[in-house]
Amino acid sequence: MRKYLFIIKTQIMSNLQYIANILLGFIGYFIMLFILFNLWDYLYSSPDELINGYNMNQMTWYVIVTEVLWMTLGGRKLCRKISNDVKSGNITYNINKPYNYVLYCLSTHLGDVVIKGIVYTFLGMLTGFIFLGSFPKLNIISIIILLITAILATTISILLITCIGLVSFFIEDSGPLYWVYSKVILVLGTIFPIEYFPSILQKILQYSPVYVVSYGPAKLFVDFSMDNAIKVIVAQLVYIIISYVLCNLIYRKGVKRINVNGG
Amino acid sequence: MKIIEVNNLSKTFKVKIKEKGLKGSLKSIINPKYKIVNAVNNVSFSVDKGEIIAFIGPNGAGKSTTIKMMTSILYPDEGNIKILGLDPAKDRKKLAYEIGTVFGQKEQLWTHLTPYDNFKFFGAIYDIPEKAVEKKIEEFRVLFELDKFINTPVRNLSLGQRIICEIVASLIHEPKILFLDEPTIGLDPVVKENIRTLIKRMNKEYKTTIFLTSHDVGDIEKLCKRVIIINNGQLVLDDTMENLKYHYLNQKIVEAKMKEKVNLDDEVGITILKDKGYNLKIEVDTTKRSVADAIRLLNPDNIIDINISNVPLENIISDIYRNKE
Repeated sequence: MRKYLFIIKTQIMSNLQYIANILLGFIGYFIMLFILFNLWDYLYSSPDELINGYNMNQMTWYVIVTEVLWMTLGGRKLCRKISNDVKSGNITYNINKPYNYVLYCLSTHLGDVVIKGIVYTFLGMLTGFIFLGSFPKLNIISIIILLITAILATTISILLITCIGLVSFFIEDSGPLYWVYSKVILVLGTIFPIEYFPSILQKILQYSPVYVVSYGPAKLFVDFSMDNAIKVIVAQLVYIIISYVLCNLIYRKGVKRINVNGG
Repeated sequence: MKIIEVNNLSKTFKVKIKEKGLKGSLKSIINPKYKIVNAVNNVSFSVDKGEIIAFIGPNGAGKSTTIKMMTSILYPDEGNIKILGLDPAKDRKKLAYEIGTVFGQKEQLWTHLTPYDNFKFFGAIYDIPEKAVEKKIEEFRVLFELDKFINTPVRNLSLGQRIICEIVASLIHEPKILFLDEPTIGLDPVVKENIRTLIKRMNKEYKTTIFLTSHDVGDIEKLCKRVIIINNGQLVLDDTMENLKYHYLNQKIVEAKMKEKVNLDDEVGITILKDKGYNLKIEVDTTKRSVADAIRLLNPDNIIDINISNVPLENIISDIYRNKE
């Protein structure tokens, strides 16, 4: 375990070089929020009006939280890195090191998102406060639980994207697969809460990754309840186990297919 | 004591073949065709503890494939490997703690971090307690003269300094065997010499067995006492450097500066390499004629200056490559 914590620490140290990039990335995030805020402002005739169970404040905070999770993750970069490692054969240089490759990927990427997560959470909260003038009512326990669900959500996202990246062992390029995954998460859980979709789709979404990586934590942020928190955390733990096992299975099968000729 | 044992090792690759042009590309989608390449074919050898072995061969000979099978990266199709009594295909994790690998063309270090932080990282990866890692880094800092750059981010190091750090990083866990795949590629002569000194030192100080592949004859000549040559996936020579140099081709180069011209055109066992009148360069085949006999032919009284040398190792190796193809 110490080695994986050390990997996270090393990645954080390495990433401190990029603090300017993180701040620049926030510009895109801010523009996105600004557009969505104005959209909701236009759609809601009054701040107290409910659309699919959300008032305007809740709707805006929901998007702020899901976007923080999404932007912090940097999923495309992770998927591309793993996919390129597999295609170029670079992955082989990790094979004879005494660590589990999946946990190595998870640790390096967690280290990658820590600073981004802190910066984006702070700036996201600040932006929300500037737009809306108040925070949702949360006590210290609910804030801690929210942080836990956010960390678990990020862990699941990393594991699922690692799975997709590792599929490159079997198909030429996992890029299109990631494209489908990212659009599902983005449309069905990030920009809109799942209550916006037909009831049959809502039932499916409640068991899908959308629930554990984006909708679950964001819904808790805007409408916290302990029952819901337990439900989200249990679902997240189940997803972590499933996605971790799946990653390892794909990796083990894939490694046996490696064909690196020369150099 | 045998530390590496490789028996009847074989590995084939399935390589897709495609006819030329767009038509060929379309055909290969509908009806893909493959050919089987024998990358390594029935190779056997063993290595003793503390040896420095040169494992050489032309490009595509199967060197890297063999190394990758020995270091758990690839699975052999046939044959077996025992490294320190472990099977690389089965005991991957156990073996990882016992061996170190440096692939000259691949970076293992974190480029934004200093060598010091990198060494600490590798220490953690190999489960070495922090205090012990710090002690080891201090030891390496002195032994391998890392002072000038141990606190400079890797991205700002010269290629030579980076390779030195790559090698040192792979020594943090005190591996019993170090696999070096072309460690001096692309380096200038001075840096090459530094790397060779480093390799010699670690072999002497830590009794590390070194398994080295290189295209650089200097590396092989200056570091290794034994050479294994592989070509087209097959082992073509496994001999000591001494035998390779002195007996394999049985040839000597004689360069002489003469007072008078000598005609050696039809002499058995002598090949004229260069004849510029008073300066003569000949190759003597010692199986057919002794060097002393060749000098007698030149007439010792007629010689102003003479130099007798071995055929350059580079020529011997190229000859072996060519003859076994």
